[in-house]
Amino acid sequence: MAIDMSQFYQVFFEESAEHLAAMEALLLDLDVDNPDAEQLNAIFRAAHSIKGSAGTFGFTDLSGTTHILENLLDRIRKQELGLRAEMVDAFLECGDILRGMLEAHQGRGVVDQATIEAICGRLRELSSETAPLPQAEPQPDSFSAPAVPSSQPTLSGKRVFDIQFVPTEISAKGEGVANLLDELRVFGEVEVLNRPDAGENVGFWELRLIAECDREAFADQIDFIADSGAWRISEDQAVAVDGSTAFGFFEDSPGMPDDERGYGFFEPVGERTVGEIAAALEAGSDDEGYGFFAPLPAAAPSPVTLADGDGYGFFEPLPAVASAPAKQAVTEEGDGFGFFAPLPAPVSEAAKVEVPASSPVITPVAKETPSPRAAKAAPAVAAAGDSSIRVSIEKVDQLINLVGELVITQAMLLQTVGQMQESAPERLVNGLVQLERNTRDLQESVMSIRMMPISFVFSRFPRVVRDLSGKLGKQVELKTTGETTELDKGLIERIADPLTHLIRNSLDHGIELPEQRVAAGKSPVGTITLKAYHQGGNIVIEVGDDGAGLPRNKILAKARERGLPVSDQMTDSEVFNLIFEAGFSTAEQVTDVSGRGVGMDVVRRNIQAMGGRVEIESMLGVGTRMTVRLPLTLAILDGMSVAVGDQTYILPLSYVIESLQPQAGDIKTLSNQARLIQVRGEYLPVVVLHEVFNIKSGWTDFTQGIMIVLDADGTKAALFVDALVGQHQVVIKSLEANYRRVPGVSGATIMGDGHVALILDVSAIAGLARNTMQKAG
Amino acid sequence: MEAMTPAGAATAEEDLVASEYLTFTLGAEEYAIDILKVQEIRGYESPTLIANAPPFIKGVINLRGIIVPIVDLRIKFNLGKIEYTPFTVVIILNVAGRVIGAVVDSVSDVISLTGAQIRPAPDFSGSFDTKYILGLASIDSRMLIVTDIERLMTSADMELIESSVA
Repeated sequence: MAIDMSQFYQVFFEESAEHLAAMEALLLDLDVDNPDAEQLNAIFRAAHSIKGSAGTFGFTDLSGTTHILENLLDRIRKQELGLRAEMVDAFLECGDILRGMLEAHQGRGVVDQATIEAICGRLRELSSETAPLPQAEPQPDSFSAPAVPSSQPTLSGKRVFDIQFVPTEISAKGEGVANLLDELRVFGEVEVLNRPDAGENVGFWELRLIAECDREAFADQIDFIADSGAWRISEDQAVAVDGSTAFGFFEDSPGMPDDERGYGFFEPVGERTVGEIAAALEAGSDDEGYGFFAPLPAAAPSPVTLADGDGYGFFEPLPAVASAPAKQAVTEEGDGFGFFAPLPAPVSEAAKVEVPASSPVITPVAKETPSPRAAKAAPAVAAAGDSSIRVSIEKVDQLINLVGELVITQAMLLQTVGQMQESAPERLVNGLVQLERNTRDLQESVMSIRMMPISFVFSRFPRVVRDLSGKLGKQVELKTTGETTELDKGLIERIADPLTHLIRNSLDHGIELPEQRVAAGKSPVGTITLKAYHQGGNIVIEVGDDGAGLPRNKILAKARERGLPVSDQMTDSEVFNLIFEAGFSTAEQVTDVSGRGVGMDVVRRNIQAMGGRVEIESMLGVGTRMTVRLPLTLAILDGMSVAVGDQTYILPLSYVIESLQPQAGDIKTLSNQARLIQVRGEYLPVVVLHEVFNIKSGWTDFTQGIMIVLDADGTKAALFVDALVGQHQVVIKSLEANYRRVPGVSGATIMGDGHVALILDVSAIAGLARNTMQKAG
Repeated sequence: MEAMTPAGAATAEEDLVASEYLTFTLGAEEYAIDILKVQEIRGYESPTLIANAPPFIKGVINLRGIIVPIVDLRIKFNLGKIEYTPFTVVIILNVAGRVIGAVVDSVSDVISLTGAQIRPAPDFSGSFDTKYILGLASIDSRMLIVTDIERLMTSADMELIESSVA
């Protein structure tokens, strides 16, 4: 049964991207001088997960690079190497390259092999440096303590682990087990004690590893390939000579301590030795010996000690040594903290072996686990069982469409009942009112599925700011608020680029160099604030800086230079809006960050394409604030419906400035072709919708219709229609799905009566106005 | 045409396999289209006009939330009386991943035709290009024009699909 791994590729790509994002966030958060061990572990885990799954899926380049990354991380984590800022830089860069490799595997872009080599080399170099940090904890003495009766010589520094696991089917069929063995061989000597029947790797494996490392070093690898939780690592203090593989202990007759192999869990060695514990116990101290101790023959030399012992440890039943009186003593002394139960930890068949009745010492109390490992494991489990599901966006969109249908049907019913007026039964009317409320609630919650917190976008900016400020020699602090503000997933994806541009712009042009800031009496560290919040039906994103502000005079001078129609009487906001003109830049020099003048016009165009607007406020020497306003979703639009002849059209409300009824004589002509209307001292080109669309209109006389003043991308125009009908929230439907693009129409929607209404493309209509003007002029 | 004259021994078998066709009339002519391309048949409702569209594109309708363009084949091929009565029918087609409505005079019935029953059509010039005709079939004394509706609807002539796509 061959499994087609490619079907899981998408999941792998998504997960790896998430791990990379998590890694980057953690790295940025890391305090270089005093790294938090938990954070380092989390970074290591992220890298490790990528490596593990990349290996499984056969992306060797990814797993290779992550392996090197992981090695360095591991050394830092174990405090063999001190963390330095250049390492963080290298990690971040490596993250970028990994992301590029991921994308390359998805068929987007290519990765330069040389850059991969370069980063690998750099990481290796960093990793090969000798440990500057002293070991935080001296290695505890090996187990030659007299407490251990075993005469087995302990290999100096070597530790023996017994590893038992049942691999998942996938890893068993694939290279999983072989890879694991290879990885383990890196740590030390590996001996396969028990393997499933030839050919099939599925089944129970038992390995013995003799190595110098901690169990943490390889526990993750085993966890990765083992069936959920079906693995166990136990450590033998002493290298068993006879190689007994027994791990269901009670079948061994008591009195054979030498053969007794630990099935218990040793606390990560380095914390405590058996000998120490034994000593502690004997002294009756309340020292917290934690962990599961396997054969501890010397630990219970006297019943008295145990009886009043405060030892917290989990003790093996000690079948070998514990004599009957000792057992009795313990049983009587119910306060003993010692848990004489079989391991409650990682389930393996063997561990479940019932303790034979001959061992009465069992107190099945296993709730309070003083082991820090167990405590640490808990949050990890919680994270794994995160209560969210991955659903394809098509399914969500289908749901949204269906709910849209429901809303339309409901509106239709309501309209019908409205026409029945008095004759409608009251219960029907009441029922419909309730239906209206329910459908609205349903629509809202369905829409909210597509909503994502804006932190998805914001989270990338600390990195942008960090990289750029370093490059520009500026000191900048990024403050973000409102990360939980939610907006449509489609918008999230499209807002990222414009926002990045605004931030780069603030960094490059806004924030001054530290010396200039100090000279201006400001703190040398500039601040960029990123803020998101809801306002009405919009989401507002502000990018603010406390930099130099926009130089009004310079912009005006530059505009004149470029031949733009400007005057000194222009308001500040009009002047500032000039920076959105294509090719406009006041930067004295073009840097590789910005200054080429491309960008701000693209920013504005992108934001407008999303149905949003961008505004600038600025004060010289105090700072600049760019405010982006976006609709909450792309699927719904606030529209004004207008009538032309017997047709209804929808105008996006965000473009509408005002509407007015023209008076006779308001309309002037230019070259007897283009018509103009004077609105508040401004001559605006008139677009007559029924002429543009070649449809019959009720009116030929301008004074009987309505002029709607539109503002599209800074171009104003007056649109002549028959009448205003109303204002609606409309669900946008694609016209192109089954038909083709229609000039002047951006989409379609379904009205309350079930009819289709076309949504006008205001930019195209304003463009039409401009064309007629040019022809006339 | 190629579809009708495949070479080889498989032809004989294919000829015996019957497929179902929906027949409809345009004026005095009777057409047959593959029934698997037909999604549903519904009455005519007045569509929303599309500005500056050719006259045979009547506009778009709302078909359970999908915006569907309506083509009047009678106008396109200059056949029959162009009037819209309660009996005017629209065949909703599912071709090339799109949903398109076609107005015809009337829908007659569903018939089975084997490959052998469909004979190649002679070359002729007319508004209805022979490249959209798979062949001719006769049932009793009726002549059915077996049409490749997908090819017809996605052709540049119909102006239903962006020219770059078609």
